[in-house]
Amino acid sequence: MTITQTAPLVADRDVERKVRLPWYKRYINLIGPLVMIIALSVTMAIAQPRFFELANLMIILQDAAIFMVLGMAMTIVITGKGIDLSIGAVAALSAVIMALLIKDFGLGLYSAMAAAVAVGFVCGVTNGLVITQLRVPDLLATLAMDQVYRGIALVLAAGTVLARFPEPLPFLGRGRIMDVFPTAAVVGMIALGIGYVILNYTWLGRYAIAIGGNREAAVLTGININRQKIFHYALMGVCAALAGILLTGRLNAIQATTAQGFALHTIAAVVVGGTLLFGGRGTMFGTLVGVLLLSMVTNALVMLRFQFFWQLIASGVIIIASIGFYSYLQQDGSGDSRSDE
Amino acid sequence: MDESKQPVLQMTGISKSFGGLRALIDVSMDLFPNEILAIAGENGAGKSTLIKVLTGIYRADKGEIRVHGKKLNISTRRDSINAGIAAVYQNLGLVDTLTAPANVFLGLEPVKRILGIPFIDNSTMRSRAVAVLRDRVGIELPDIDAPTRNFSGGQRQAVAIARAVIGADLKVLVMDEPLAALGPEETRNTFNLIRAVRQRGTAIILISHNLDHVFQLADRVLVMRGGKHAGVAEVARSSKRDVLGMIVGSDVDVDAMA
Repeated sequence: MTITQTAPLVADRDVERKVRLPWYKRYINLIGPLVMIIALSVTMAIAQPRFFELANLMIILQDAAIFMVLGMAMTIVITGKGIDLSIGAVAALSAVIMALLIKDFGLGLYSAMAAAVAVGFVCGVTNGLVITQLRVPDLLATLAMDQVYRGIALVLAAGTVLARFPEPLPFLGRGRIMDVFPTAAVVGMIALGIGYVILNYTWLGRYAIAIGGNREAAVLTGININRQKIFHYALMGVCAALAGILLTGRLNAIQATTAQGFALHTIAAVVVGGTLLFGGRGTMFGTLVGVLLLSMVTNALVMLRFQFFWQLIASGVIIIASIGFYSYLQQDGSGDSRSDE
Repeated sequence: MDESKQPVLQMTGISKSFGGLRALIDVSMDLFPNEILAIAGENGAGKSTLIKVLTGIYRADKGEIRVHGKKLNISTRRDSINAGIAAVYQNLGLVDTLTAPANVFLGLEPVKRILGIPFIDNSTMRSRAVAVLRDRVGIELPDIDAPTRNFSGGQRQAVAIARAVIGADLKVLVMDEPLAALGPEETRNTFNLIRAVRQRGTAIILISHNLDHVFQLADRVLVMRGGKHAGVAEVARSSKRDVLGMIVGSDVDVDAMA
């Protein structure tokens, strides 16, 4: 019998809950990466002070630049409860097509760059359609599409390395403004700035938070979830193409097998920065911190003459530690997940 | 209730099946201006399905919906919102990682155009949300910029109600079990909230299991049973026992149950 004439009133445990957040809880998501950056800095100050030389810091920025561009869009995608594992292949495919258009078809640099961005856009929209229309889960859809895009890039490039491109492509990828500041890092920071505006001041960002935070609520508000998700992946595709362009400029060469492992590195940077892996909250500033932290770790390991393989181990450990840390915070009640169904 | 008035909302001959399950069978109802109509019935009686049809989450197989006599074609949530039908759902439907203003305006964010690009106007949104919460819902939140997951149950409900009443042209407010998980004081506050919304001229549909609440708040009760309209009772002229009889069916001995 479900009719209750005198229903016992459920005591509201929430009444006593303090509503005003202590100041540090507003920034708690940045504490993890900042602690790691400080710990790393102290270690390096002792082990290898040359780490802090301006030239080396600029190398760190240079390395981080591509992941700033990728991290911007990935922050939106993850905030909207998505994930994109195909970005390395999209970057490679866009860059290979740009390179072929320049080398084999004599197209101008800017037209070829526009074509690369268009390719990234089409790849992203395709991902979005596979996820929303064929209802393949985001993870599997983009994992499978990664193979497809990589395959197309391999077919097109036919095993060749395409090299030597006209300016200003190398300047974009590896040039220095005033001979000091990496051009690519400027591009990356502009991308993150645009991402900040998207996340906090546009429907696109607001609805990404809503979809990731409480999908049912988003539906009830009349938000078209499928359309928003296609936008997220389209933005991701465009940013992957930009990353491909920067990478081509940096190496002044491109081949179809390049940009492997970009997806995990980007996801790691985003999550380390405090964006919730399962959606509903994202932070562009956190992503900047996450990207810089991972680049610092890589750089530090090189300076300390660890083999490349150790970098893989280190980035894996950082990912696990970060996600574990945030999961712990969630249980702690500083971020209870009531909206999670 | 003045029966000669034109109803705000009429649902006529609504049917809805899910595969072989007939969730709604030829259900009709009227809702009059300034009225609080409760919908009562057991789980599975079709209450939720009926309001999901009204709010555009399900599309009826048959039947029609009229607002102020005008026939509506409701097939999406947005159609229903545009027709002036707002809803507060049982789980409140808040995005708990967003602030109160962001929740209140979710889907209806005011924008400022810069170079033609619409940017969400967070400061306008914030001041309007504060005003709506204070003037229409009667609550001041201590930290309106905190995510709503930090709020108490009553505060979260106030945010959900503020969101429902924010629409300029609100005609019907649907509330699904608004009192289900509240303490005594928050229940009283919510009673006041509901009455305040009614006083501003909005008709209310209230879904509730709790006949005490129904009898304190509602003008009429529509009883549903097995997906069908089982009767309407005017609260002022009926007893809980009559209504309970309609809920469980005339072949059941109500005295034995109570």
